[in-house]
Amino acid sequence: MENTYHVGMADLVVVSAPAVLITLGLGSCIGLVIFDTTAKIAGMAHIMLPDSRGTKIIEKVGKFADTAVPTVIDELIKKGASKNRMKAKIAGGAQMFALPGVATDFLSVGVRNVKETTSMLQKSGISLVASDTGGNKGRTVEFSTTTWMLAIKTLGKGKTEI
Amino acid sequence: MLDLSSFNNLQLDAIREVGNIGTGNAATALSKLLACMIDMDVPRADLVSIYSLSEYYGDPDSVVAAVFVRSFGEFGCSLIFIQEEEDADLMVNLLLKQQFGDSVPTDLDPEMKDSALTEVGNIILSSFLNAVNMLIGTQHQISVPGVARDMLASILDVVASIFGQMGDMALVINTQLRVGASSQNEERVISGNIVMLPDPDALELLLRKLQVL
Repeated sequence: MENTYHVGMADLVVVSAPAVLITLGLGSCIGLVIFDTTAKIAGMAHIMLPDSRGTKIIEKVGKFADTAVPTVIDELIKKGASKNRMKAKIAGGAQMFALPGVATDFLSVGVRNVKETTSMLQKSGISLVASDTGGNKGRTVEFSTTTWMLAIKTLGKGKTEI
Repeated sequence: MLDLSSFNNLQLDAIREVGNIGTGNAATALSKLLACMIDMDVPRADLVSIYSLSEYYGDPDSVVAAVFVRSFGEFGCSLIFIQEEEDADLMVNLLLKQQFGDSVPTDLDPEMKDSALTEVGNIILSSFLNAVNMLIGTQHQISVPGVARDMLASILDVVASIFGQMGDMALVINTQLRVGASSQNEERVISGNIVMLPDPDALELLLRKLQVL
């Protein structure tokens, strides 16, 4: 019997297999999973923003790429995972609206989310084995610890697995 | 920087009134454009946790159509017009009927429809903004509109990431427009939400101009 966990915005959930981790409607946000197939543990974070610098009180560590990545890794280790076996997959980071001819930093937050998440994984020595990022479409993602695959649903394009 | 959690009722009431004036102007413009009656609700001004924005508006997974504009100037803000996809299509049909009469081509490509939808959204949002800026005596420039059809939660990510940089709450000014039946045999009411998101530093200006700060 697989338990299903919904990972809300800026949340972070670490579980032991068998489990399914779901996050709904990622726009510019990132769905990050880090997992260890030997220890059979996986963690998912719903990252909203690239970095926490300038934020005084961080209520949710899952909100920022620079705090979410190390926390998921720590939580996985606490549950018995080994850092050198960990692998990561990411999806999301779309730009929902484009306004031609307008410099709008806040609309391209998706791109910066992808960049920061990728670089945090690299710094931590975790290999990013699959990703589906960018574009202008929202994604709903579902990670199964049975197959270790990340299923991505996009409006009008159906379902893909990475 | 204003602390959103310390807003009092008087301030929220004042902001609600701004929404009321903006919506009134938007309803008038839409009514002229579509040549039919428009109803509006009393606007709401709510402080919402950015983590539960999509629940505030409905089902995170539901498909919506949204038009987005950005306003530059003293009073910087973003505005979104959100509709259920079905309502957006009905609204587009109403507009096209103005153009084509009863012989609206049935095979219009999606880009054409999106273009019409963007135009309706643009008129609604710029009329809203014009009224607000006139009220508080500020100059503004408005961006070209952007359009998206997607899951509600993905659209609201934009909102969450704007306010998320400042904290955990968003101030949303929210109002509903309802397009009545244009011809007697049509009873379907078309709804849409105008969502106004003042930039955090623009909020302070707004409150000062309204003399509630």
